[in-house]
Amino acid sequence: MAENEPKILSFLCNWCSYGAADLAGVSRMEYPPNIRVIRIPCTGRMNPKFILAGLRQGADAVWVSG
Amino acid sequence: MTAYTDKIREIAKRLLAEKKVDMVIGFRKGSLPLLHQPCMATSPEAADELVWDSCCSLNLANYLTDRKERIGIVAKGCDSRNIVTHILENKIKREQLYIIGVPCTGMIDRHKICAMFDSEITAVKEEGDSLTVSGDGFSKTLSKPEMLRDNCAACTHRNPVLYDEMVAEPVSEQTGVDPYASVKKIEALSPAEKQAYFDDLISTCIRCYACRNACPLCYCPTCFVDESRPQWVGKSQDPVDVKTFHILRAYHCAGRCTDCGACEAACPMGIKVREFTKKLNKDCLELYGWEAGLTLKQRPPLDTFKPNDPEEFIIRI
Amino acid sequence: MKNLLEHTGIEPGRLHFSWVSSAESTKFVEVVKKITEEVKALNSNKAYAKTKPKVD
Repeated sequence: MAENEPKILSFLCNWCSYGAADLAGVSRMEYPPNIRVIRIPCTGRMNPKFILAGLRQGADAVWVSG
Repeated sequence: MTAYTDKIREIAKRLLAEKKVDMVIGFRKGSLPLLHQPCMATSPEAADELVWDSCCSLNLANYLTDRKERIGIVAKGCDSRNIVTHILENKIKREQLYIIGVPCTGMIDRHKICAMFDSEITAVKEEGDSLTVSGDGFSKTLSKPEMLRDNCAACTHRNPVLYDEMVAEPVSEQTGVDPYASVKKIEALSPAEKQAYFDDLISTCIRCYACRNACPLCYCPTCFVDESRPQWVGKSQDPVDVKTFHILRAYHCAGRCTDCGACEAACPMGIKVREFTKKLNKDCLELYGWEAGLTLKQRPPLDTFKPNDPEEFIIRI
Repeated sequence: MKNLLEHTGIEPGRLHFSWVSSAESTKFVEVVKKITEEVKALNSNKAYAKTKPKVD
């Protein structure tokens, strides 16, 4: 992958941002292809170790969204 | 200090003889000088082993987790704050405890003293504010206030916050000290400098987990470092893995750490592991006005939600 | 509480939090754009990514 195409690991809440992402897809909106989505049941499922494990395994950034 | 020891023994014997408690947790002389062992005295005779001086740097609240017995415990300022945290987290009941409060004038830094001498230290004698350290062919008298651990030198809670009986009159609290001086210094650095600072700090870490074991907050049934399915933290000596461990350990202590310094005292390599937890302590104080273990009446900030909780870190569009 | 990561030397732009309702697809797209821009401005993650262990 090119140096300036970062991988952004995204943890999206099932009920909020994941829904928004779904809607964006259904509405055929365009957005950068750099995000890699992981659906979590709720932002409360988030744990600091997910973030660190993601960075450790080479993600360029982590985004948590409720 | 002998007055403290005598008084602790006297109280412990009385409690055990009257069968008010099943055991008294205190310190006894360890196999190495400068670091006393925890001691669980279950009979009045065993209470003769208990001692108190400036080498009691471990945190005894560590030994209370999930205990069912009635326990008498010797507690200095930070131990008592950790006992409060334990009670808040339902790890022990207040009714089970008889807390023997010890006003504390700070514990000495084993690493600092060991670094001053080339050969092994075999004996330490303490009188008032002076320490006489001796070993094979040398003997030197040091001043205790200069040899204090960093967290003790900047401690503002020397007297127990929760106790049933005190062994002496409370000591005066220090004023004009800044526990977060080193955090502020690091905060002023650039990201690259910070990275270099912490890489250097933990470069000698051998992943023995002594800091975790000495910490009264670390009582998870399975520690995150021992989990293998899935394995979140690498077990290797790789700098990234070591850093992940230290950062996660600090997060586990967020809003709970009392800066007792047991982690640093236990570290065989003398790493200043408190640099990680102290930053979170400072954040808790600044964001929520919270210092752990001072009251039984309030839930910790990370347990509760308030509509006015700070949320500057959330992106707004 | 993510200040510690920045404290230990990670660049501020490596970790983002946001709040998007499931009906706000436009906001979602905007947040994705904004974050991508910010991350592109940084170099790729070297300090925190684990490289393959060296075998002698």
